[in-house]
Amino acid sequence: MENLKTNAEITWCPGCGNFGIFNALRNAIPKLEAKGISREDIVITAGIGCHAKIFDYLNISGFYGLHGRNSSNAEGMKIANPNLKVLTFSGDGNGLGEGLAHTIFAAKRNQDITMILHNNGVYALTTGQFSPLTDQGWKGPSTPGGSFEVPFNAISLLIEVGATFVARGYAGDIKHLTETMVKAIEHEGFSFIEVLQPAMPYHKWEEYKNKVEFLDKEPMSKEEAINVARNSHKFTLGVFFQASRKAYHKGLYGDHNPITKRLSKDTRLDKIRKILESK
Amino acid sequence: MVHDVFTFLVGGKAGEGVKKAGSVAAHIFSSMGRQVFQMDDYMSLIRGGHNFSVVSTSSSWISSQYMKADLVVNFDKRSCDTHTHDVAEGGIVIFNSDEQENVDGIGIPLSSEVEKYPMKKLMYGVGAVAILSSTIGLSKDQMNQNIKNQYPRGIEDNIKFAGTIYDMVKDGCQNKYRLEKGEKKRPIITGNDAISLGAIAGGLDAYFGYPMTPASSILHFLAKQAVNFGLAVVHAESELAVINMAIGAAFTGAKSMVGTSGGGFALMTEGMSLAGITETPILCVLSMRPGPATGVPTYTEQADLNFALNAGHGDYLRIIASPGTVEEAYHLTAEMLDLVWKFQTPGILLTEKHLSESSMTTNLYIDEAKWAEPNIHSGGNYKRYKDTNDGISPMLFPPSKEIIKWNSYEHDEIGITTESANMIEKMHNKRNKKLGKLIEHLKTQKTVNIIRGEHPTNIFTYGSTYMSVLEALKYGKLNPTTVQPIYLSPLPVWELEEFKNQDNIVIEQSITGQFASLLKEKAGLNIRSVIKRYDGRPFDPIELSIKIKEELE
Repeated sequence: MENLKTNAEITWCPGCGNFGIFNALRNAIPKLEAKGISREDIVITAGIGCHAKIFDYLNISGFYGLHGRNSSNAEGMKIANPNLKVLTFSGDGNGLGEGLAHTIFAAKRNQDITMILHNNGVYALTTGQFSPLTDQGWKGPSTPGGSFEVPFNAISLLIEVGATFVARGYAGDIKHLTETMVKAIEHEGFSFIEVLQPAMPYHKWEEYKNKVEFLDKEPMSKEEAINVARNSHKFTLGVFFQASRKAYHKGLYGDHNPITKRLSKDTRLDKIRKILESK
Repeated sequence: MVHDVFTFLVGGKAGEGVKKAGSVAAHIFSSMGRQVFQMDDYMSLIRGGHNFSVVSTSSSWISSQYMKADLVVNFDKRSCDTHTHDVAEGGIVIFNSDEQENVDGIGIPLSSEVEKYPMKKLMYGVGAVAILSSTIGLSKDQMNQNIKNQYPRGIEDNIKFAGTIYDMVKDGCQNKYRLEKGEKKRPIITGNDAISLGAIAGGLDAYFGYPMTPASSILHFLAKQAVNFGLAVVHAESELAVINMAIGAAFTGAKSMVGTSGGGFALMTEGMSLAGITETPILCVLSMRPGPATGVPTYTEQADLNFALNAGHGDYLRIIASPGTVEEAYHLTAEMLDLVWKFQTPGILLTEKHLSESSMTTNLYIDEAKWAEPNIHSGGNYKRYKDTNDGISPMLFPPSKEIIKWNSYEHDEIGITTESANMIEKMHNKRNKKLGKLIEHLKTQKTVNIIRGEHPTNIFTYGSTYMSVLEALKYGKLNPTTVQPIYLSPLPVWELEEFKNQDNIVIEQSITGQFASLLKEKAGLNIRSVIKRYDGRPFDPIELSIKIKEELE
């Protein structure tokens, strides 16, 4: 594992699942470099929540955005300069609560970005309220009588709306998570990894350890993948779905790059002159 | 006719080619070397209702439509009823005699004539062009040439139909108006065309939008021109996505712009605040329509000034400017793009439906547009938020060996989150220093238009109302000094000092007089009265000149 750390003080709780995600990513970056993806081309965005603290700790360029809007920041980066490899970190509340529409639309468009969804099943940083992925019955400060909303299934939801790489990883299995991250980042199109990560004040590693298991085999079609995602339990790890579909920026402007192939002022003025002649 | 102004008004249902007829009329006038102002009044619907287009033309500069038309063409009864009072003295009304009788004017059986052709009601607009051609004494050949150029579908039928209608304009109305030729043909563009072209000339790389009248036509114009200019133009899922995508794009060095109206801007305010703390250069076009809430989508107002001035939570630098004319919209958009990149902060180009969607002949010096160019860091040891003398930190974009971190949390110079009291204060001070530098810069630029007059009273106005005021003063032969601040934040108070204790009146389109309040508060101006209009319609120069005259006496 490379350092890839900034000098920022790490303020995740001791034992937090976020360390596993942080370490897996620090493993994955050198592996990606070995495959020809330079770390200088990697940029990150994060929302707001415990997940997002990774922005301060990881020595990679990027944009620390607003709660829920990180995938829009990531989309903008990719659209403006498609040479960049864009990663966006999200929490379950951030990406599927406040940012739900943006997450779904990024997947619908098959934006060539990777979303890593830190799923701790709770709003941790704001003291333990239920999240869109929290099981029914959760007694948090906003649901003292127990939450009664049915949680989303992030995997089947993302497959349904158009993500072309959908996987689940576990912060307690860094080797598998590293491999999954490498695959997701290499994938051209919208890749999504839901990472199970206990938040110490609210859950214990024991709740995960004996339950996680791997998919027997990767489903062959979108329909099968959705079925498997719906019918397997929420501790099932592995790649649920992979497909090839034209990425958004390719549809928007083919092989163009708005920044590196920017037209000069003179060329623009000549074209404007022509437009005005026709008016 | 009002001095040498001639006005053509055409009204009918949406889908009958009303706006197109107005635009063809404008091109007929401009091809005579004349100048033109066209205002389209339309309802928020796709078929039916009542729409009209008013085109006023003069051999000299004209900056408003006149609501007293010399030639009124009504396709239906509703148009006749609506425009009874919009006829100038000695003007002609031409109505559809298949729809009604006993109207004071000339009846032409438009409905039964269009029934003879497969395009039917789509041809009403061509009929209006034929009526206009006949009354202003164009030959049939000239008329046919215009129709060929402007209506590429069904040319033969259109020409045959137009010929019939042309001959039906009788009773001394053929050749009634002989319009003097002007000096040269000029391009006719809308305010939104000018904003789009100005942004391109200024270095725009990416535009993000969500459809909302009256800003949508910027999205449409740029989407159409995206390939031609190598731009990324994106219609996103909401204004929240729009502003956050644009901010992400700016992080990579793309000159990014967004456009919307009041309701969409409300959603964008969190992003404006985000751009404030992350010091993201971003330009937002805010084209006002009557509010609050959904308000009146296709009409005009100036009631979002206070909202723009205070948009977004927290203390941060907002640059706000409003163009007074279509030509100024071109230059100001490029200038604002340059400014937001120079000062790394969000800017708002504040305009309104009346400028966005009205068209006029323009004489643009396109080469004079500014070009946005950020101050780039060189060497190593990069700090995104380096505290400099003027608060402006040099920029760097990925890919780079240096680490570039932009942060929505309060942060240190590197861009790492901080809660340190010293650092919070230091960063506030750093960002706040930019205002001083901005004012210093603006003092070297043109920030206000002043037209000196003889009368001791001064008129203050801004945005497209400036055009209405200039036309009203010309019509009424009135000569107060007219002051139009182009910049509204920071307000160029250094230019307004001399007017402080003089006799000032304000003209604006807001019931509460938001612009007058701004002038009082920031420039300490003594304001005697405010002429307001807030019914969604732009001022009419004749009515406005009467009001101004009353105030001046």
